[in-house]
Amino acid sequence: MADITGLRARFATNPSAWRVPVCIGILGIILLALCSIAMPMFLVNNLIRAFLYAAVAVTVDLLWGYTGILTFGQSAFFGIGAYAAGLIFTHAGFSIPLAACALVVGVGAAWIVSRAVGWLAFYQGASPLYASVVTLVLPIVLVQGIYSGGEFTGSSSGLSGFDSFDIPIELWFFIAGTFLVLVAVSGWLFVHSDAGRLLVAIRENEARCEYLGVNVSRHKARLMDVAAIVAAVAGFLFACVQMVVAPEYAGFVFGTELVVWVALGGRGSLIGPIIGTLLIDVGGAYLSGNLPYIWTLLVGVAFVVVIVALPRGLAPLVSTAARWTVQRRRRVEVKPVEFTLAQRRDDEHPGLKTLALSLRGVKKNFGSLKVLDDITFDAKSGELLSLIGPNGAGKSTLMRCIADGSERSSGTIEIGGTDIRKLAPYHCVALGVGRKFQTATVFDSLTVGEALRVARYRVSAPSRWRRDAQLALPQPALDLLRTTGLDQMSDRECRFLSHGQKQALELAMVLALEPHTLLLDEPTAGLTKQERGQIGEIFVALASKYQMCLLLVEHDLEFVQRISSRIIVLHQGRIVLDGGVDEVVQSDLVRAVYAGSQQELKMTESS
Amino acid sequence: MFILGLDVITTAAILFIVSAGLLMVFGVMKIINFSHGSFLTVGGYSSVIVARFGLSWWWSLPVSLAIGFLLGMLVERLIVRPLYARPLDAILATWGLGIIVGQLITLAFGRSVQMVASPINGAMLLFGRPYSIYRLILVGVALFLAVTAGWLFNGTRLGLQTRAVIMNEALARAMGISSSRVRFITFSSGAALAAAAGCLITPLTSVDPNMGVPWVVGAFMLVLLSGSSLLSLAAASLLLGGAQVIVSTFLNPVLGGLTIAVLAALVLRVRPEGFARG
Repeated sequence: MADITGLRARFATNPSAWRVPVCIGILGIILLALCSIAMPMFLVNNLIRAFLYAAVAVTVDLLWGYTGILTFGQSAFFGIGAYAAGLIFTHAGFSIPLAACALVVGVGAAWIVSRAVGWLAFYQGASPLYASVVTLVLPIVLVQGIYSGGEFTGSSSGLSGFDSFDIPIELWFFIAGTFLVLVAVSGWLFVHSDAGRLLVAIRENEARCEYLGVNVSRHKARLMDVAAIVAAVAGFLFACVQMVVAPEYAGFVFGTELVVWVALGGRGSLIGPIIGTLLIDVGGAYLSGNLPYIWTLLVGVAFVVVIVALPRGLAPLVSTAARWTVQRRRRVEVKPVEFTLAQRRDDEHPGLKTLALSLRGVKKNFGSLKVLDDITFDAKSGELLSLIGPNGAGKSTLMRCIADGSERSSGTIEIGGTDIRKLAPYHCVALGVGRKFQTATVFDSLTVGEALRVARYRVSAPSRWRRDAQLALPQPALDLLRTTGLDQMSDRECRFLSHGQKQALELAMVLALEPHTLLLDEPTAGLTKQERGQIGEIFVALASKYQMCLLLVEHDLEFVQRISSRIIVLHQGRIVLDGGVDEVVQSDLVRAVYAGSQQELKMTESS
Repeated sequence: MFILGLDVITTAAILFIVSAGLLMVFGVMKIINFSHGSFLTVGGYSSVIVARFGLSWWWSLPVSLAIGFLLGMLVERLIVRPLYARPLDAILATWGLGIIVGQLITLAFGRSVQMVASPINGAMLLFGRPYSIYRLILVGVALFLAVTAGWLFNGTRLGLQTRAVIMNEALARAMGISSSRVRFITFSSGAALAAAAGCLITPLTSVDPNMGVPWVVGAFMLVLLSGSSLLSLAAASLLLGGAQVIVSTFLNPVLGGLTIAVLAALVLRVRPEGFARG
């Protein structure tokens, strides 16, 4: 009962969030019905094509504008959908079951190809340029395949003269328009949902996402699959209505044209790419008769100008202008997210109770340079373990090795009794490791609430079509947000936070992962003395109250001395001291290392 | 077999010539210059212009170098310089520039294929078999290019500054090297090289407003494999060019045309640093 009221309350909080686009969508469909009767035939004909192109442009915007994957290959999926229809209708004839079959074949083929592309392009550590390269190669390969298909694929002249659905052009106009509206509205709902904000998080900082337990490559590949399927359906409709397919529709020049339209309209806005596509494609149809090459030239010039001077395209300009002229009377104010306490989950990692971390003979080499040499130590829950040592001692490298299984050259690392082998960072997060980077790393264009939601992605999968008004966080993260006042700023964009607030937010994001072992790389760098004291108390509480294991890299010996329960001294990649706070701080060795005197150190080592 | 070997070597030489300018720009500026293709086209058309003036084909080499350099200066200043911090956008902007250049050329010369008389016709008997003299000359050109570039890079002050910018741009700037000057010169020279390459391939290919596009994709792939080293580029050209010749000869030419792109994509998947020392 309580659950149901809670659910209703949540639905009631942001009703406008999804109603607005759905209403606009319905209005759009009604408008389409009217236009299909009223518009001149030439325009109707051209708009059908432009609608289908625009649907593909929306997928380019999702991939590139939102997620940052610059793709030249959406044309290939469009071509696959179109050729599936063209080939089946040409060689097997047309019937309704065959058309359904063609749609299934086209979508299935696009999906399989997209899986292959995803496997190639998105792997851990892949560069964004490489993904673009793969999407560039795909249409080139496809078009050459079509060329060499001879009679079967119609080679360079394509296929034409096949039968298709016998329905009037006005109805096609309505179908294509409805398809575009559906794609646009579901795209809009998705990117504005809690799950959709992850796309922006990936675009802004892939590494941070990985270390928040998000399998970035998998998400990109899934998005690519969906985009491929939508493009293939658009291609199928295109072949049905135009009754012609040609290699150009699968080629990479068309793929780049899609990018041009998206860029001109305004990447990352969904509506911009649609308008850009409609204007340029229909405009081209009208003007290319009179000014054959000038039109393309103008589009090219506009494209370069937009990329250089207006990276967000023309959409923001238009919306700003609209805001200037129309007085902002009713801004749909989205309520800020409210933070609540997450229910304690049953302990994922029962083995963690005592031994949090165990390293045996960990080594890291860069060529012949040994950065870490035979690092062996254990760390228990509730320990606040500080790593100290001069610059270049290998402290940060050691942190990286613990958080990413592929980093170390040899040796074993166990987290809560589980060997991390070569596991990727998001896997290590699942084992209970949370890593805070050396420089405050947050997502600039997400709000505080959204950033924390991304951090909860692993624990509770967010909605794909709406925004939740509440966000449940574990107690330590809530404490931190309250202490620093961030809980009152859940709707503020991260870029407007102060340096100290960014550091605190990143730590809260890591704590939202409910980690057992915290890796903190110079968490007090750049903080004021007061903030430093505050954060020190938080660390102590995390270790003592929540029984976490904290591994801290610090330069400030006084700070370390105050909060640590144990200190490890690294020097030239080796552990030279490991013991209680007083024991280490009082030792000659630490004095020597901190004084930087190599001579003394060597003497102590050899003695 | 012997002819096959020659084909491999000459194909590699052509690929090397066509890609060298792109490699310079990518190596120093870490920017993929997709307008490389249009610089190639411009070079092709400069031999058309030279032919219209009734001059010997050989004049088109200096003309294309000059036009390419001037165009490169303009492009670097207006388009590339604002985009250093946004490398993916630089790809797009230079691709857009390619559209512009293609349309301008179409407006000026029309869409049709232009014919340029080959400077050297005929074949040479090598071990009893005839082989195109021009392709053999291109091997010499590629060697000359490699040696000259190597000397410029390793033996001159500008080369030293360029290497400093490649290795650590922030440090180079701190030491008083004007990295924007290095980039300006690099980009303009890259463009000049591309134009010269476009002019050099006119006897082998048709001259039309889109002649650069198929070449730029192959060059792009080779450069991604080679990083910033001319030696790696030579190795990549030889290996992938060789694969292309072998596939075209023994399987079919269409597959041959795909060899470079597909092989490069696969190699980069396994070894992201390509042939460059990682």
